[in-house]
Amino acid sequence: MHKHTFHLRDIILLALIAIIFGVIYYATGFIYNALTVALTPVGYGPMANDITIGIWCMAGPLAGFLLRIPGSSFLGEFLGAAVEMFLGNQWGAANLISGVVQGLGTELGFTLTLYKFYNWLTVILTSLTATFVTFGWDWFRNGYNHFAPHMLVVMLVVRFLSMFIFSGVLVKLIANLLKRAHVIKR
Amino acid sequence: MNPSLKLFLALIISLEITFTTHLTGNILIIVAALAYLILSRVPVTKIIKPLLITLIPAAALFSTIAFFSPEHNVRFAWVLVSRLYCYVSVGAAVTLTTPKLDLIHSLEQNCHLPSKFAYGFLAALNLIPRIIQAVKSIRVAGEMRGVTLHWWSPTLYFKAILAAISWADQLAQAMETHGFVEGAPRTAAQVIPLRKVDWACFVVILIVIQLILIALP
Repeated sequence: MHKHTFHLRDIILLALIAIIFGVIYYATGFIYNALTVALTPVGYGPMANDITIGIWCMAGPLAGFLLRIPGSSFLGEFLGAAVEMFLGNQWGAANLISGVVQGLGTELGFTLTLYKFYNWLTVILTSLTATFVTFGWDWFRNGYNHFAPHMLVVMLVVRFLSMFIFSGVLVKLIANLLKRAHVIKR
Repeated sequence: MNPSLKLFLALIISLEITFTTHLTGNILIIVAALAYLILSRVPVTKIIKPLLITLIPAAALFSTIAFFSPEHNVRFAWVLVSRLYCYVSVGAAVTLTTPKLDLIHSLEQNCHLPSKFAYGFLAALNLIPRIIQAVKSIRVAGEMRGVTLHWWSPTLYFKAILAAISWADQLAQAMETHGFVEGAPRTAAQVIPLRKVDWACFVVILIVIQLILIALP
């Protein structure tokens, strides 16, 4: 492949995909709040974040599988965050920071494969890198360093499962459909 | 203030408070951001809405740190709550006072964001109503065949992405036939100025915030 830069069409497509994921997730956005309310009395309120994080990070890996250009996963995730900011999500400009962190997390998995193969191993790698990078960010941002150790282990495992199920398996299933439709070349 | 500088200022503040634990500093930043919003004549209902939504994650974080963590550190719990509200108020101080077109034009003209990103993003943003409609019709079409497409169904995303691919192709072609050339020099109908006053504001606010964060507990 000698197509290594983003063209107008790719940028529009990545932004559109980010919007699609946003639109579909928006309908289920109440899950996060409901989970938070349900988990707070048992002391696991912030875990709602770990349970749902895989859903937030779906656009990145999908962009990576679809375009197969270095940087597409990062860009897909970042554009998604930018769309959320413009639509008036409560976090405003801070969305962009989350977008960068999540984008770096998913992109790193593709970097580890040297952009050579796009199979289930890639799914596991992106899930792992996304889990650790976003967890590291929450370590500072949401004060995870003050949580009890056993709670941290539970949250890390839950976060990985969420990443693996939504940003991994579900994304791979979508990518498989796209491949069968000959939309993904090679 | 210049939209890009405003955005960068908000990003710098948000990053900085992530790694500091100054309660008074955070509260001052929140007050300043809210005052700026009110002075900019943003409707109060628009300011209150994000503040109310944030109550849920804020309460969850507070109770977890204050009651369920090993140290029961109530002060740190308040720091985290104030931090969340900093993100929300500083973020709103950018998004609620800056028209998105101004911000994107400013990023393109003042920060040399390539025009293909600026206009590609804008083109996609303007398609949002059609995307919402498309997702609805895919679901309804599924219902008519007796298939319920949930938000976790790969087929739902697959069909929506197929539509997105054809839209992206058509839009890119349409823009190119109308004379859009990637990387070609452009003239701007709406020039976003980047004045010395903007830079002065930016630097002064940045210094004041450093002082606040260093001096106050």
